[in-house]
Order: sequence, then C-alpha cells, then structure tokens
Amino acid sequence: MQANYVVMAVTLIVWIGLFLFLMRLDKKVRQLERRPK
Amino acid sequence: MCAVIVAMFVTPAPQQVIGESSRIFYFHVPQAWVSVLAFALAMVFSVRYLRSRQPADDDRARTAAALGLMFCLLATITGSLFARVYWGSFWNWDPREMSIFVLLLIYFAYFALRGAIEVEERRAALSAVYAVFAFVTVPLLVFVLPRMVPGLHPGANVANEDAAFSMSPTVAVIFFPALAVFTVLFVWIFTLASRIQALSRADEEKDM
Repeated sequence: MQANYVVMAVTLIVWIGLFLFLMRLDKKVRQLERRPK
Repeated sequence: MCAVIVAMFVTPAPQQVIGESSRIFYFHVPQAWVSVLAFALAMVFSVRYLRSRQPADDDRARTAAALGLMFCLLATITGSLFARVYWGSFWNWDPREMSIFVLLLIYFAYFALRGAIEVEERRAALSAVYAVFAFVTVPLLVFVLPRMVPGLHPGANVANEDAAFSMSPTVAVIFFPALAVFTVLFVWIFTLASRIQALSRADEEKDM
C-alpha cells in the first residue's frame, strides 16, 4: 500500500505540473491574441 | 482531477484477480478513448479542408492527428507496462497489441506523407484524403478485430477468463470522471495548439 502512495504522489505532481504549464501557455496565447494587429 | 487521482489509488484495485497493476485501467482506457476521438476529429477537419480548402482546417486536422498519435503512444506504453507486470513481457503480439501497432504505423505514415510533399496545397489535399481513409481502419482496429480473436487482453477474450472485466459501481464512479478529465485535457491542448497555429499563420501572412 505504501508504494501506492508514492505512485499517487508522482502522478499528482505530473498532473499539477501539466495543468500549470497549460495555464501559463493559455495566458501567453491570450496576450498574443490581444496584441494590436 | 486531483480528487480522481487520489480515488484511483486509495480505493481497492478495479480487478481483484489482476491486483494492483489493474489500476492502470483508469489511465490506459481514457488514453485509448482520447486517441480514437482525436483521429475522428482529424477525419472531420480533413473533410472540412477538402470542402473549404482553408489552410486552418488542414492545421487542425494535423494537430488532431498528432495528439491522437501521442495519446495512442501513451496507451501503448501504459498497456506495455501492464503487460510486463501481468503477462511477464513488455510485448506479446497479442491481437490488441498487433492492432494498436498497425494503428500507430498508419498514423506515422500520415506524418511521413506530410513530410514528403513540399507544395502546401498538394500536401494538405493528399493528407486530408489519407486521414479520411486512415480513420476507416480505426473502429476496426480498436473495437472489432481484437474482439474477434482470443487474446490475453482483459475484457472481451476467451483465453483469459479469470481477468474478465465487469465494472463495479465504485470503479465506474472513478472511471467516468477520469474519461471526462482526459477528454477535457485533449480539448484544451487541441484548442491551444490551434490558436498558436492561427497566430503563427497570421504572423507569416503579415511578413509576406
């Protein structure tokens, strides 16, 4: 069961990292879209 | 997603005979589902390109196919890890493994085709036609062929009845949200990639 928690922690870190990366990317793309043409 | 991940690991394993390694089901099946969805979307945008001849539709078809290939690779890798634990080897040429291997080859060929043609309109038109025909094989390779012959894969098989899978209510409560989360993740990445491509296309046109 202990190993399960290790895998769970790693999975959570990967998913949170991915989520934060996509959030930042989304923000940057939105800034670029708002830029005057 | 955090709640779903925690639930995946603190609840009993979804398949008691297989044991702890069956938890990969919560990741592996949604990945395979998203890859089918992405290939379907690639086909839809390819048809749209053939009708409209808008480069943006070709961009979206390419993005969907690339994401489909990525999720298909992830499904293959997670399946292979499960195979190592449960069947003793990473690759066993099981019918399901054969069909996903063929599917990967078909979509790698889509990108090989794109890479081989330099003229943009010609590349877009030929790859759109290819994507439409490639999608015809997807339901056959994912849903039909692996169920027609006995194999090792849990689910519809004859050779491994002890691992036959029936979803309990607890498993369903975790599985369907996981499926939704993977679908939302795919839609988010797809939308982001399409917006980035639109921006870079607009920049290219401005420079011309």
